Amino acid sequence: MPTEAFIYDALRSPRGRGVPPAHLYEVKPIELLAQCLTAFQRRSGREDLPTEVDDLIIGCNTPAGDQGYNIARAALLYAGWGQARGGLQINRFNTSGLEAINLAAARINAGYGAVILAGGLEVMSRVPTYLNSGPMMNDPATVINSHYIPQGVAADLVASTHGLTQAVLDAYALRSHAKAVAAKEAGYFAPSLEPIMDQNGLTILAEDALPNPELTAEQLAALPPRFAEMGLAGFDEMALHRFPLVDHVGHDHTTGNTSAPADGCALCLLGNRTAGERLGLRARARIRAVAMSAVDATLLTGGVNASDLVLKQAGLARGDVDLWEFNESFAAPSIRFQQRLDIAEDRFNVLGGSIALGEPLGAVGGMMLCQILDELERRDLTIGSLTIDAGAGLAVSTIIERL
Amino acid sequence: MIHYRKDTDKIATLILDMTGRAGNLLNHQIVAAFAPVIEHLKKEKAAGELNGVIITSAKQDFLESGDLDYLYRLEDPARAFEAAEQLKQFLRDLEVPGVPVAAAINGDALGTGFELTLACHYRVAIADSKLRLGHPEVKIGLIPSGGAIIRLMWLLGIERAYPLLLEGRRYSPQEAHKVGLIDALADNREDMLAKAKAWLLANHEVARPWDDPNGSIPGGTAADPNLGHRIRLLTARLSAHTNDLYPAKRAIIDLLAEASKLDFATAYRLDSRYYARVATNPVTKNMISTFWFDKQAVRSGVGRPKGFGKFRARKVGIIGAGQMGSGIAFLCLRNGLQVVLKDVSQPIAARGKEYVGAKIDEYIERGTFQPTDRPLLLERVATTNLSDQFAECDIVVEAVFENKSVKTKVTREAEQHLDEYSVFATNTLSIPITELGKESVRPANYVGLHFFSPAEKTAVVEVVVGEQTSQETVARAFDFAISIRKLPIVVKDSWGFFAARVLNTYILEGITMLREGYSAALIENMGRQAGMKSGPLALADELGLKLVLRYEQQAAEHYGQRYTQHPAVPALTLLRDDLERTGRSKRLGFYDYSPDGSARLWSGLADHFPVTKDSYDRMRMKDRFLFAQVIEAGWCLQEEVIEHLEAANLASVYGWGFPGYTGGVMRYLYSYGQQAFIDRCAELRERYGQRFTVPKYLRQLSMERLQPQSS
Repeated sequence: MPTEAFIYDALRSPRGRGVPPAHLYEVKPIELLAQCLTAFQRRSGREDLPTEVDDLIIGCNTPAGDQGYNIARAALLYAGWGQARGGLQINRFNTSGLEAINLAAARINAGYGAVILAGGLEVMSRVPTYLNSGPMMNDPATVINSHYIPQGVAADLVASTHGLTQAVLDAYALRSHAKAVAAKEAGYFAPSLEPIMDQNGLTILAEDALPNPELTAEQLAALPPRFAEMGLAGFDEMALHRFPLVDHVGHDHTTGNTSAPADGCALCLLGNRTAGERLGLRARARIRAVAMSAVDATLLTGGVNASDLVLKQAGLARGDVDLWEFNESFAAPSIRFQQRLDIAEDRFNVLGGSIALGEPLGAVGGMMLCQILDELERRDLTIGSLTIDAGAGLAVSTIIERL
Repeated sequence: MIHYRKDTDKIATLILDMTGRAGNLLNHQIVAAFAPVIEHLKKEKAAGELNGVIITSAKQDFLESGDLDYLYRLEDPARAFEAAEQLKQFLRDLEVPGVPVAAAINGDALGTGFELTLACHYRVAIADSKLRLGHPEVKIGLIPSGGAIIRLMWLLGIERAYPLLLEGRRYSPQEAHKVGLIDALADNREDMLAKAKAWLLANHEVARPWDDPNGSIPGGTAADPNLGHRIRLLTARLSAHTNDLYPAKRAIIDLLAEASKLDFATAYRLDSRYYARVATNPVTKNMISTFWFDKQAVRSGVGRPKGFGKFRARKVGIIGAGQMGSGIAFLCLRNGLQVVLKDVSQPIAARGKEYVGAKIDEYIERGTFQPTDRPLLLERVATTNLSDQFAECDIVVEAVFENKSVKTKVTREAEQHLDEYSVFATNTLSIPITELGKESVRPANYVGLHFFSPAEKTAVVEVVVGEQTSQETVARAFDFAISIRKLPIVVKDSWGFFAARVLNTYILEGITMLREGYSAALIENMGRQAGMKSGPLALADELGLKLVLRYEQQAAEHYGQRYTQHPAVPALTLLRDDLERTGRSKRLGFYDYSPDGSARLWSGLADHFPVTKDSYDRMRMKDRFLFAQVIEAGWCLQEEVIEHLEAANLASVYGWGFPGYTGGVMRYLYSYGQQAFIDRCAELRERYGQRFTVPKYLRQLSMERLQPQSS
């Protein structure tokens, strides 16, 4: 049954490079989030929006340091949104932003909140992932018991298992860049994009910085393996322990066919029908269904399960989906997702994906939602599917339906 | 028990000298004797009458390691925990009160013996390269009980402490100094005491780093992101190397990571909890049984024919100056023997001496030898192309390549110059000793001495008894092996002797699985996961398929009518004859080998052995791999190819890489359970054929014999 959670608006910052020289490094994460909040006031024409907000849910992969200590509540206070209720920070790795949106939808559906802002924030150039370490990273017993291997090695395992060579992965990466470059030049990202400004109102970054129009297959082919060192340290052998039918883990992923670290923030204004009427906002879409799945912690293939689950939840068939967005952390799982669900190329990641655009971990779900919503509107289509694979076997999926 | 002496500089020396035993042991007795001494020292310190304490020993060893007999039988974790806590309390009593204590290490201090020195504020040892120091507990499946893991972590940091504990090497004082186990080296006893005293006079106020409120662990804790990442990599490496089968090794890394984040007192107690779990683990019992008791048994003569005087070889002749010959030469030099190294020409023999030099350099690098030792060692090796140099040799070891006529030729040449007492040993892995012995003019003195490769690193040698080999020659070969610190495994002249014969069944079982439709990758992975060092197909390539088949043909000849062909044979002949993929030496076998040394399973295997199994039973594959070997070892015992269970265990873990966590090929029967083993074999026999018939010897074997005998 369709939910009563409507998307009234969605917006995002551009994606900047997440390693030096990083475009958004000079912007405090809380400032990035505050600028996105303020943008909702401007776009809705409701200066009093803060008084209507029941919660702000922020997904963040690395909720520490400059984006720690419940950055959601902090940002409300920082931005002068003190009248807004709530402020919640959640972490389900790089699905966090999408999970925040799903959680907001579920809350609205359950009547616990009428207007909720949800999405994600990640400034990787300032808050590197290692700042939020934990047992899966440094507790030997957990490392061994969980068979949790670095996701890059897991992606290499997927490539080896299915005979995907570096050439195949690189070709996929080139397509991602070509699609993203074309979309950027055509202005398809524009509706959701909010430029990030300095304190004088001077623009720091207005467009996604990473898609590379000059990238060639030769450049990609020359890149060294990205995860060989980790693999050879012992994780290859751990992977084979789990999957003994594989004879060897090749290391075909490079920095070119995996997502680059990125910085950014993306948010979505969700509410129930009454709230929309009260605020005088037109619903752009609704959250049709949400799902989460977990497979073996060694693998990175939970997306297919999550996607099947969410379709079942929505009462839809694969053929009903107009556009698919799949987060491209690594080329091999992306190729496998497309193959296993038999998705036509002209419906899959039509604007490119994280390989070309960069992956601001906790924010990527919100970014994907902004893009797919804009694109459904531009093409006048209805059903969009979003899926993100995460570490330790997790995957999250969402179906939106344009109204 | 403890002699007390105080000099005019107010330095007290405590000399450990336990009555009624050859060595000092850190047990209840000595702990009880220490209590009033510590009280007295505290009073003297308070009165300004004491500047420091030196602890040393009147015995040859500084302190012995723990009581393994007691440990083997310790099954109650509560008691193990209590024992560890008591030892820890004693060590705290020594290090906390502010009386500076220096350990003057005059002899071996291993395991529990080394714990006492770690509770001292300063460690100085005599630089005698025969001394052994450190924490080798992990070798018998244990971890230290007195807090050595925590102390070493605090003294050296996680990254330096980890390899010391994980590898469990027994360090010479020079090596120990290099890795940070001790603070200083001394030339002799006087120098050692002088250095200890000088340190005490310079350091009146002492606190261990962990008792200092501003103290910190060098290099940081597991909570530090960089070190945390390193720990994750070390964990992956450990998991990859051990397949998570060794509780002590896991405990070491777990404990270092966890304890680094806690205060000392809590970490110290946590250490006892880990110890109690590891000490009572069945794997630990298996390992104590084999790596301690079986080893002691063979060292003290199990397998050696009785009634012959001890043979002391002084000068050893070695024929063949290749890797094997020079490895054996190195072993002899290292253990104080003279060597004559012969090959077909003087330059080739000289090159062998260079190999020996290179090995010495390796050990200088590690700190085992000093650069000054190099010429002293090498002057004891003479190189030649003439056999007459063997005239003064007590034993000649032949290590030329596997060719009967070449071996016969060098034997005869050497024998012209040997007297009636000297031993001639042949190092072969596949030619029957009896056959070779027939060509010898002194067949009674002719014996097989099968060194595994690399000779200097493998702990066992097979002493192969030919039909005409005399018992006295066997005893001499045994004594020679002991003198170069090898564990001699006395075996009869069967195909592949004992080790290779048994290992071959593992290889054949793997090849059989390939024929059954399992994928080669799965077979290799499951072999390693069972704890074997390599997959069966990789081993087949390593040995060469011709040899694998030859062993099986020899088995067929031996059993005659009773022989049933192993199901692996057709696959082997296909590879050897039709596909001409004979193994690693040809770079084509079950694997393809690149010139750079890397190997990948041959992609064409599936064309000849289609993969038809889409599911697999991990336990059953593992059982097949290990059971095949246990059963073959059982036949060897029944046929008296080998006589002693201890020797069989040691040959298996050291000689061919049977998994150490099992305690060896026979101890495995004990830990699996004899009846459970027999029942499982019945099931496997039903499914896979009569090779899983349990030999009568194994069915009737008393399990008591696989337990260490109480001393």
